[in-house]
Amino acid sequence: MTSNPMIESYFAALSTQLSDLPQPKREEVVRELRAHVFDRLEQIAQPTDDDCRTVLRALGTPQEIARQYRVELLLSRSAWRISPWRVLRTLFRWTLTGIQGYLVFIMALLGYTVAASLYVTALLKPFFPHNVGLFVSHEGITLTRFPVPPMGTEVLGMYYIPLAVFFGYLFTFVTTLAIRFVIRRFGKLKQRVAAASA
Amino acid sequence: MALLRKELKSEPPEKWEAQLRKGCLDLAILACLWEKRLYGLEILRGLEQDSSLVLAEGTVYPILARLKEESLLQSEWVEADAGHPRKYYWLTAAGRQRVISMAHVWNGFAANLNNLLKPVLNGKGR
Repeated sequence: MTSNPMIESYFAALSTQLSDLPQPKREEVVRELRAHVFDRLEQIAQPTDDDCRTVLRALGTPQEIARQYRVELLLSRSAWRISPWRVLRTLFRWTLTGIQGYLVFIMALLGYTVAASLYVTALLKPFFPHNVGLFVSHEGITLTRFPVPPMGTEVLGMYYIPLAVFFGYLFTFVTTLAIRFVIRRFGKLKQRVAAASA
Repeated sequence: MALLRKELKSEPPEKWEAQLRKGCLDLAILACLWEKRLYGLEILRGLEQDSSLVLAEGTVYPILARLKEESLLQSEWVEADAGHPRKYYWLTAAGRQRVISMAHVWNGFAANLNNLLKPVLNGKGR
């Protein structure tokens, strides 16, 4: 199959537009759409530049295709899986698109940080039983202090570990659910806005 | 945001039709693959022939990618006589389950709506 500068520049543009997809995925997309274009052109005996243009136009602009991949793949991926890392990475890209995204990102970071801190204290408890725990005193509640142990009395003992793990998981779960909700909601909204402006 | 909502409310019918088509696209694509594995262009032809779901051709590929991500589809590159390989898609067990349940939902929905529309289409009343 002979290629042509118009097709080459189309796929170069597409590749650039898809730069936020991981590279293997991006190559896969370009390869698949290239096969589509070649298949279309093969139906024509002697494809001219005009035929190329028609085929590419029917496919849609690189910007439009990239936008759809982004909407379908990145957002849905975070919306379906509970993986804090993935959700955060998607959110981080998303923050670049506006103030809402930024606020959600901060919220997510906070939620996951609390969760991670709880996990860390659970890990530390067996090694520093007098520094880590649930300490209650007239000043309030303290979880951890180094090198001097916190004020007050530790009320949980080794039960602190399963409880910290439980609440850590709870924080992870609730944060992720909240983000999934926001992504679905605003993801759809973004699609609508894009559809309305198209 | 309020502005956007207002805009959506006063959508012209063509826009409604486009939304409807878009909403049915997942089901239509999955249904195309019910009998055999197909590559992107074949799926597009199936959509054009059987369901008048006209769309920018590029639309179908991102949706295929998502359906695969959701484990409803599986895909494989196959060498063809054409000289370049083609990416074939087929339904996974979960995909088959999903089409069946979607088809039932659609059928129930369409039947109810048709009932509602009967007087409108018959032009009686009023």
